[in-house]
Amino acid sequence: MTDPAERLVNLALLIASSRGGVSASGVREAGIGYPEGQDEQAFLRMFERDKDDLRAAGLAIVVDGGDDAERYRLDSASTPTARVALAPDEAALVRAVGAAFADDPAFPLGDDLLFALAKIAPRSAEGPPATSRLADESPEGQGADAATLAAAVGGRKRVRFEYTGAGGASRARDVEPFGLFFREGRWYLVGRDRDLDEVRVFAVSRMGALAPNTGSRKTPDFDVEPGFDVADFARLPFQYGPTPFEAVLRFSPDHAWRAPRLIEGRGSLEPDPDGSLTWRVQARSVDRLLRWVVENGPGVVLLEPERARARLCAGCSEVAARHG
Amino acid sequence: MGKPTSAMRARRLLALLPALRAGETLLVADLAARVGATVAETAADLTTLGYCGIPPFTPDDLIELDISDGEVRVFLGPPALEKPLRLSPREARAVAAALQSAGAGPDDPLVARLIAASGATGPDELARTVRAAVDPGGVTHVYRVVAGALERREKVLLTHLGGGRDACTRRLVHPHRLFNERGTWYLAGFCEQAGEERTFRLDRVGEAQTTGEPATVAENTAGLGASPDFIGLPVAEVMFAPGADLDPRDWPGTTFDRQNDGSVLAHVPTASAEWLARRVVARLGEAEVLSPPDIRAAVADLARMVASGLAV
Repeated sequence: MTDPAERLVNLALLIASSRGGVSASGVREAGIGYPEGQDEQAFLRMFERDKDDLRAAGLAIVVDGGDDAERYRLDSASTPTARVALAPDEAALVRAVGAAFADDPAFPLGDDLLFALAKIAPRSAEGPPATSRLADESPEGQGADAATLAAAVGGRKRVRFEYTGAGGASRARDVEPFGLFFREGRWYLVGRDRDLDEVRVFAVSRMGALAPNTGSRKTPDFDVEPGFDVADFARLPFQYGPTPFEAVLRFSPDHAWRAPRLIEGRGSLEPDPDGSLTWRVQARSVDRLLRWVVENGPGVVLLEPERARARLCAGCSEVAARHG
Repeated sequence: MGKPTSAMRARRLLALLPALRAGETLLVADLAARVGATVAETAADLTTLGYCGIPPFTPDDLIELDISDGEVRVFLGPPALEKPLRLSPREARAVAAALQSAGAGPDDPLVARLIAASGATGPDELARTVRAAVDPGGVTHVYRVVAGALERREKVLLTHLGGGRDACTRRLVHPHRLFNERGTWYLAGFCEQAGEERTFRLDRVGEAQTTGEPATVAENTAGLGASPDFIGLPVAEVMFAPGADLDPRDWPGTTFDRQNDGSVLAHVPTASAEWLARRVVARLGEAEVLSPPDIRAAVADLARMVASGLAV
């Protein structure tokens, strides 16, 4: 029996080299590796899967003709020629970031990234010297589950999993996955818990026995809420807590350049005449807000609320006294 | 890693085709790096490609290769698909997701070009559903310059904000490696101002410029893990109060010993007094540095500055 990978390459070469396309029966009779004596329906199912696999590899296979005379060919306008022109530094960036993540088991799209690099920014055996450790806990498990979830998000397929909450209790969840985000070493899923009929955030590292719905693979199971943006759920560390309040912070003129990187698109940023920036943002935890301000300093000043400022000053005075 | 599926292996074989030009002699190791496989796997893949071709499979219709001594000689290239295939939508999304971590949001021109070349739906759709980094602020310039300098082995001039300074400093750095730790990119390299190897957090770099000057090469980058090497770093003793909010993941390389009264004694490896001082002050009394004295002094100085509103 022919190696299935060899059959796929032969099929790609056959379709790419045929003028005017090739029919399914032409493929079957070409002797490129389909089992001899295979019945018609089994062949057509295998041929269908093979075309899907080749499309995933980047072959733009188009179909000409009607139902009785379908012929398959490559869209020559897009398959080999639609190259991405990268400037040298862009190629270096894609190569460095791509190589680091392609080798990181916690990056869920590593296989696709690997083949993308081979096409647009091939790396040599020497490099680049770039590495990644996205997840510091169960990187293989998180990466594999995040890959399954990313596929479910893309295909809008329901998923089931056992979920262990912060209190240690575990129960089965049936979720419509809307989006996936990464923060500080962990992947998170945002989706509608069908039993609760609520959109919830789930840490991927707390999931077990993850199983996507494999029925009717090409038919979506649900619609995503209009306007959904996964970033709305990826809050800053001080935005978790029971009671919201508005915080006002100032980036000094010398540090205004850092503001877009630090605020993660949250709240509103207004320029001041002296070149500083004032940031108004919703917060829910004073302790976490103060920690964020100090850790991201210098150049970040808390203006409001006054009670938080007072606590920051008192806390720092205590620290200074203890270490002085 | 498990055995690849036939589809994955076929993608690997197809990715090798454009490199197989008649008359070329190639290193199997370079081809292996190109497709992220081992040398043995790639040698097996090349053997398989030697059986591939188009009907009627006469010798002129087959790819003809000779593989020996770590090299592959190409006598006859593929009868079609001599150029790289276009990016598939999934591949373009994977690159776009990776670039999110380097500041490239959906509006980034590079991301837009990648997505457009694949024929996929727009980058906005990716950003709304998958975020490998939460809004990175659209600052790819620094990352591009640093990656280019690293690849060309050129010194790079950085304007960098250290954790304990109120102003940026200019650093001429010999770039040695990039690494990502929990989503944050760092550059490790020799800093001419410091006269030693230093690590620079790239989201604290305001500007980066290429210099065209040759850089030194790191003595050993092979086999380096993603994380900083904690072995040999000075260790600070930090006591956390009973009930302190303490996640070990936030303190890389640290060992923790719970005391009878519920407090926790942490041994924190650190190369930067500024980094540790800022983290201890941020605890606002939940943590105290017991040793060494210079970090205790740095904590006290920083706490006073923050309290006086001078340099938060």
